[in-house]
Amino acid sequence: MTMATTVPAESTATSKAGQSDTILSVRDLRTQFFTRDGVVRAVDGISFDLNRGETLCIVGESGCGKSVTALSIMGLIPQRAGRIVGGTINFEGTELTTQTEAEMRKIRGNRISMIFQEPMTSLNPVLTVGAQIAESLSIHQGLDRRAARDRAIDMLALVRIADPKRRAGEYPHQLSGGMRQRVMIAIALACNPQVLVADEPTTALDVTIQAQILNLMLELKDRLGTAIILITHDLGVVAETAQRVIVMYAGRTVEEAPVEELLRNPKHPYTRGLIGSIPRRRTAAQRGRPRTRLQEITGLVPSLREEIPGCAFAPRCGFAVERCQLERPTLDIHGASHRAACWEVARVTAVPQ
Amino acid sequence: MTAYILRRLIATIPVMIVVALFVFFLLHLTPGDPAAVIAGDDASPAEIEGIRRKLGLDRPVWEQFGVYIWNLLHGDLGTSIFSNLPVMTLVKQRLEPSLVLAVATLVVAVAFAIPMGVVAAWKADTTIDRVVMGFSVLGFAVPVFLVGYLLIYVFAIQLRWLPVQGYRPLSEGIVGTLRSIALPAFALGMAYMALIARITRASMLEVLSEDYIRTAHAKGVATRSVLLRHALKNAAVPIVTVIGIGLALLISGVVITETVFNIPGLGRLTVDAILKRDYPIIQGLIILFAGAKVLVNLLIDISYTFFDPRIRQ
Repeated sequence: MTMATTVPAESTATSKAGQSDTILSVRDLRTQFFTRDGVVRAVDGISFDLNRGETLCIVGESGCGKSVTALSIMGLIPQRAGRIVGGTINFEGTELTTQTEAEMRKIRGNRISMIFQEPMTSLNPVLTVGAQIAESLSIHQGLDRRAARDRAIDMLALVRIADPKRRAGEYPHQLSGGMRQRVMIAIALACNPQVLVADEPTTALDVTIQAQILNLMLELKDRLGTAIILITHDLGVVAETAQRVIVMYAGRTVEEAPVEELLRNPKHPYTRGLIGSIPRRRTAAQRGRPRTRLQEITGLVPSLREEIPGCAFAPRCGFAVERCQLERPTLDIHGASHRAACWEVARVTAVPQ
Repeated sequence: MTAYILRRLIATIPVMIVVALFVFFLLHLTPGDPAAVIAGDDASPAEIEGIRRKLGLDRPVWEQFGVYIWNLLHGDLGTSIFSNLPVMTLVKQRLEPSLVLAVATLVVAVAFAIPMGVVAAWKADTTIDRVVMGFSVLGFAVPVFLVGYLLIYVFAIQLRWLPVQGYRPLSEGIVGTLRSIALPAFALGMAYMALIARITRASMLEVLSEDYIRTAHAKGVATRSVLLRHALKNAAVPIVTVIGIGLALLISGVVITETVFNIPGLGRLTVDAILKRDYPIIQGLIILFAGAKVLVNLLIDISYTFFDPRIRQ
C-alpha cells in the first residue's frame, strides 16, 4: 500500500534540487475559450516545472489541452477566442502571463521557441527558407542582412540539410516534409533558446523520418543545453525521449513521474489504460496461446464545456467511487518524484498492470 | 519563368484573333446593308454606293478580312467616315487624358484600398472593420456620376480647391494635370476601391488563419511585419487578379467620368462615334480596348510569378 502525502503545489519534487535548476514553472494554469456554446475549459489547472536541459513529455489524447498549454506558455492564445484566466507561468523569474505583447515578442523565438505539428503548412510558402531562418536572427540578435544569412546557412548545416547554401535560397515547396521540419527546428534554435516547445513535431511525418527528427532534436538539445517540452500522444516517443512525463486528461494533470517509473509503475487508471492500449508483440512463451485482446479505454472524453466537480476520468474509470464524482483529486506524491491525481491509488495499484 | 511568360504571351494570340474576327464581322452582322446603315435614312443610292466602295464592301468577304488584318498589323485602324481622319490619329489625340485618368484612378484606388483591406482583416469584427466594409458597400452602390457631382460640389464649388471640369494636358505642367484629374480619379476610383478593399480583406483573413502566420508570431515577428511581409504577399494573387478585372470595368466608367468632368478622352470619342454611327472608329476602339484588356491580363499573369514562387516553374 502506498502512503499518500498531500503536498502544496509549490514544493514539487523537482524544485528540491534548487531554485536555479528550474527554468520554467507553471502553476495552476487555466486557459479558457469563449464560444457561442459556452466556456471551454481547455486547460483546467495545470502545474509543472521544467528543469534546465531537461526533456519533459506531455502526453494525452487529442483535445486534452496539451497544445493549449504550449500556446499559453508562448502567449499565442488567439486573443478574441480565448484567454489565460488564472495561474502563473514563471520563466527565469519573469512572469509571462502579465507580460505585454511587445515584451512577449522579445521572448518568443528568442528565449522560448516553438515547433509545430504540421511542417507542410508551418513555413511561409512565399519566402525562402534562408530568409525565414534569418528573420529570427535579425529580429532578436540585430544581425544585418548578410550576417543573418550566413548564420541561417550555418543553422541549415546544423540540422543536417545537405548543400545548405543552395537550400537557403529555396522555397518550402521545394523541400520534403522531413526537410521542412528540419528547417522549423533551425528557425526555433536559431537564437539558442533556453526552452523549446515541440508540439507533436513528428506526428505528420513518415515513420522512418520521425526517428531522424527526434534524434536530431535530442542531439541538438544536448549540444545547446536547451530544455524541451515535447508534446505527444505517442508513448513510444515518450519512452525514447523523455526524462520526465506529465499525463494530461481533460485539461488537468493526472500523473507525473520520471519516464521509467511511469511506464513501469503507472498509478493513475487513465495512464494504465493508455499503456494498456499499446499493441505489444507476443513473447515466445505466449505464442500458441490465444491472443489477449488489446485493452481499450471505454467511454468518451468528457465535454470541457461543463464544470467537472470531481475527477474528470471518473465516468470511464473502473475504480471510481462516490468521492471521485464529487471531489477533485489532488496531485499527491506516491513514491519518489511520482505524483498522481487519484483518490483510489491504493486499490488501482493493487491490480497488476 | 521565361517559359511561363512565353506561354502566356502565346495564349493572347488566339484571343486577339477572335476579337479581330468579331470586330470585322460587326459591320456585316448588322441587319441590312451596312453601307445603307452608315449612310443614314435619306441617302441616295449613289451615296450608298460611294460608301460601299470606300469601305471596300463591294469586294469578297475573305478579301476584305485579309485587307483588314493586314492593315491592323500595320497599325491602320481604318478611316473615320465623318472626319475622314485615320482612326489612329483620332485615338492618339484622345489617348493622353484617358490614360492619365486610368492610371491616376488605379493609383488612388490601390493606395487606399489595400491599407483599408489589410486593417479591416487585422481588426476583423471590430468597429474599424465595420466602417471600412460599410464604406466599401457604399462605394459599390453609389453611381460614378453621383460621386462625381458630389465631389465637384464639395471640393470645386464650396472649397474651391480644385477645378470644376476640364483637363490640363501634361505638356502644360504635371501639377495642373494632377489637379484637373484628382476629382475624376476619386469619382471613378470609388467603386474600384471598394472592390479591391473587399477582396484584400477576404484574402488577408484567409491567410491570417494559416499555420505559417502562427509560426511568424512564434518567432517574435512584429504585427506590422506579420501583416505586410508574411501575410500580404501570400494574399496578393487574388488581389492583383481583381485589380486586373477592375481595370477592364474601368473602361465603361471612363465614358461616364469623362462626360461628367468634360474630359476630351477616348470615352468621349467612343460616345460620339456611337451616336454618329462612325463604324471604323467604333471598330478601332473595340480592338484597342480589347488589346488593352489582354495586355493587362498578361501583366497580371506575369505578376503572379513575383508573388508566388510556386507559379514560377
